Order: sequence, then C-alpha cells, then structure tokens
Amino acid sequence: MAYAIQNAPGGHYRTKHVVKSEVLKMLTVRSTAITVGLTVVAGLLVTGLVANASLHPASGSYLGFDPTQTSLIGLIVAGLTGGVFGALLITGEYSSGTIRATIAATPKRPLLLVAKIGVAAVAAVVFCELLSFVSFFLGQAILSGGGAPSANLGTPGALRAVVMTGVFIALMALMSFGFGLIVRNSAAAIASFAGVVFVLPLVMHGISEPDLRYVPTNILTNSIMSTVNQGPGGIVQPLSPSVGLLLMAIYAAASLAVGAVLFVRRDA
Amino acid sequence: MITAHSLTKRYGAATAVDNLTFEVPPGVVTGFLGPNGSGKSTTMRMIMGLDYPDSGSALIGGKPYPELAWPLREVGGLLEAKAFHPARTARNHLRWLALTNDIPLRRVDEVLDQVGLTSVANRRAGKFSLGMGQRLGIAATILGDPGVLLFDEPVNGLDPEGIRWVRHFLRGLAAEGRTVFVSSHLISEMALTADRLVVIGRGRLIAETSVVDFISRSGGAAVRLVTPDVAEFSSALTAIGARVSYGDAGSLTVEGLAAPQIGDVAARDGLRVHELTPITASLEDAFMELTRDEVEYRPSTLAGAAVAGGKE
Repeated sequence: MAYAIQNAPGGHYRTKHVVKSEVLKMLTVRSTAITVGLTVVAGLLVTGLVANASLHPASGSYLGFDPTQTSLIGLIVAGLTGGVFGALLITGEYSSGTIRATIAATPKRPLLLVAKIGVAAVAAVVFCELLSFVSFFLGQAILSGGGAPSANLGTPGALRAVVMTGVFIALMALMSFGFGLIVRNSAAAIASFAGVVFVLPLVMHGISEPDLRYVPTNILTNSIMSTVNQGPGGIVQPLSPSVGLLLMAIYAAASLAVGAVLFVRRDA
Repeated sequence: MITAHSLTKRYGAATAVDNLTFEVPPGVVTGFLGPNGSGKSTTMRMIMGLDYPDSGSALIGGKPYPELAWPLREVGGLLEAKAFHPARTARNHLRWLALTNDIPLRRVDEVLDQVGLTSVANRRAGKFSLGMGQRLGIAATILGDPGVLLFDEPVNGLDPEGIRWVRHFLRGLAAEGRTVFVSSHLISEMALTADRLVVIGRGRLIAETSVVDFISRSGGAAVRLVTPDVAEFSSALTAIGARVSYGDAGSLTVEGLAAPQIGDVAARDGLRVHELTPITASLEDAFMELTRDEVEYRPSTLAGAAVAGGKE
C-alpha cells in the first residue's frame, strides 16, 4: 500500500533540502522586499544627509572628524530594519500558521532551525556588507566632492570598519530572530528588539551613570564604525572593535540559544 | 496505518486527551468524531509530531512522525484552515513544501490541477476564499503522494458543492488503499463520508467501530404506527412483549418488534393500519446518546431537553 514511498529517493531529507526551501520562502514574502527596500533608501539617505552636513562643521574645524564613521552612520537604520527583518522571518510563520506546515514537512527541529538560521545569517551578512560598502563609497564621494577630509579603503581602519559594520548588523538581525523564536509574535518580537537596542540605553542613561559601552548601538557607532580614538580625556574609552564584535556575537548567540531550546521543546 | 497508544495530553490541570488508544487502518475512511473541544485537533497534532504527548505514543506505520525519512511522501496533513503565508502565491506555497522533501516541482502543477486551482496558482493565497484556501491545503496534503492522510475538519466553512467535492475526494483516497483519518463534529457528514468511526468525548475514547455498528449499537430501533384502533393495537402489542408509547393523534411508537411482526398482528386481529414506518436511529441520535455525559460546554436548557428526549 505504499505510494510515493516507492518512488522516494534513498536516505532522508537533509539540511540542503530545508535550505533551498527556506531561501524560496524568504524571497516570496513581501516583508523581505519591504525591509530591504526601506533599509537601502533610508540608510543611504541618512548617510547622504550626515555626510553633506559634515561639509560645514559647526566648530569650523575637522579636529577629531572621522570620515569613515560619517559614511557608515546610515547603517544604524539598518540595525533597526535588520531587526524587523530577523524577527519577521520566524514570527511571520507563527502569525500565518505556516510554522506547523514547516515542522510537519521537516520534523527534525534542530536540523530545521540550523537551516533557517543559516539562511537568515548568510542573507543578512551578504546584504549588510553590500550596503556597508555602498554607504561608505557614497559618503566618501560626498565628502571629497565637498572638500572635506575623506577616506578610502586603504585608510587605516577603514576596511575593517566597513566589513565589521556589515557583520555587526547581521548579528543584530540574528539576535532579533532569537527574540522572535522566544515570543513567537511579530509585534512582541519587534517591540522587544527595539526596546532592548534603542530604548533601554535611553532609560539607563536617565537612571544613573551606567556603562553604555556594552549597548549594541554604542558598540556599533563608537567601536565598530569608528576609526579614530575618541577625543579628549575623561571620557571612557570605547571597547576595541574586536571585543565589541565578539560581545554582539555573544548577545546574538544567547538569544538564539534560548530561542532554539524553546523551539525544540515547545509544542508547535 | 496510524496507531495511537495510551495517548495523553494535559494543559495544566485540564486533560485534553486522556489515555486514548485506537487504530486507523488503510483502505477506508475513518471518521474522528467528537464535540468541539473534545481533543480531536490535539490528537491530530500529536500524531503529526507538532505537539508532544505527556505519555503514550502515536505511530505512523510503526514509526513516530519525527523519524519519518520523507514526511511529506509518507503523511499528508490538513490541520488548520489557512496554514499558509497570505503574501505567498499558491504555487510558491506548494513549491517550498516540495523542496523540503525533494519532491519534483512538476507535482506542484499536478496537484493544483487536481484541486482545481490552476487558474489562480499565481495569486496570493491571502486573497483566497475559505473554500479555495481549503483546496490549497488539500493540494499540500497530496503533494508527496502519501499513503497516510489526516484532515482536521476539512469541510468547515465550505459550500455544498465544496463539501461534496471533499467527500468524493476523501473516499477516492481511501479507495486507492490509503489510510484516511478525518475529524469532524458534523455527524451527518461523517455518516456520508466515513466507513469507520473513532468517537471521543472530553479526550476519552467512547467508541471505535464501523458506522453501521455504531448506529445499531445505540439501539432505539422503533416502528411508527398510525392507526384509528390505538387502544386495541396497544394491548395486542404489549401482550406479545413490545413497548408502546403514545404519540400525537392516533400514532404509536413501538419498540421491540419489527414492522413485519406488527403487520402480522394487524392481519390476525383485523386492525386497521394507516401507516407503518421503521425508524432507525440516526447517527446523530447515537452520538448524542453516547456523548451525553462527555460534552464539556452545553447550555443548560439544551442539556435538559436532551435528557428528557433520551428518556422518552
């Protein structure tokens, strides 16, 4: 009484099958196109505006001016939209009920999750790197065109900053994916991501004199995008780029680990 | 073949599925009947490896669902009305499913054709009517040409034509030798679609039987007799062991005797018969009878009426 079982290929479904399926899924929902489009437009617009504003520094001097950081600043927008993208990749499945179809098709949940996270990670890194480079070149074109100090990829620290910015934002998206796995609801996941990344630092700032060096957005702007040591003494030195990136990787891994344990153990 | 053994699922203090043991054999449609909230969907989710049982097991061809090599080629499940992303087209929904189990993509167009969705294959599934959504869900179940199929309330919200189509479709799958397990709270629908029944109430097994047995087992076979000679008939029938109750104007309900025997009494005693109708209990009556104590939520007035009706 077997049907397709007789025609089934040998072995069993593997990560590669789930990866192909997840790529198709990612490309066939509107939230992907919307977040990608928004990130490109808003990110490059912010970079353009900030670079343009730098052509006429208020102090009249370029002391401590960091052309690399200036040209990457628009990617803070990508930090937010990347978070939305990461969360929606998984919560969109919960809100539509697709997650049950997904688990029924590939019920080995650890394998499923590895494929899903892998696809999300590769997509996020590739896209964020592209955007990071485009933003850098756009910013430098505006700066040099306007006679301000500018950088190129050979400038000490510049290539490192551009590459790390892309990776960092991809890690932020993965952290948000982890939040999505934990709360399984689009609004709640996006709210917790925005809350932790953008609101918590403000709240902390209002309470006492906290060490804000460990906050993702601060790491991003002060440790990752920056290529010059921060100015006058008395100010706490930011984390080094590699420590900052490592810390963000730990945040993302922790969020994904909690989400993965819950995903495997909970009823779908 | 699906086998559930001592399947149990608790949510806090409430027991949704209680020590449920049953079998779903191939080649017939097995109906899964129970009132709303009786644990049908939970049971089906456990069979498909979506929910974890607290104890007991559910096996497909002897294996737990998560251990199937190619799940979609072995089991097709329709567990909720719209388990697809609204922004994705019908074709893309089936394509990602096909990719997971290395199913040739030509199957996508085949099953779209089979359920009659070819003309809307490239439309976003979110724009589909309930009936079209249900057809897309059914297309997904047969994508891998599986030998075991589960459908949770497949005719919910469908128009009469859709209901007929689903009924024929399910019977066709069983006729091909597949294992077909269909849940419903619609008894009349099960009477037309199913050959066997697994009946549950409050998560417990009430009956596992054929539809025919289920109806006859609940008893209640009676004959309606309309006659001007009510008094004479009543004493003559009671004398030979029948139970007789009076209905409206000149009608009697006779239990314990079949229509031919009543006709014989009429001929023997020269009594007039205007109508003689065997009344078989409907599947609905049988169901009400069996689940009377198992319905979790019931308005009190209805409950009273059901009890009074049962005693009649």
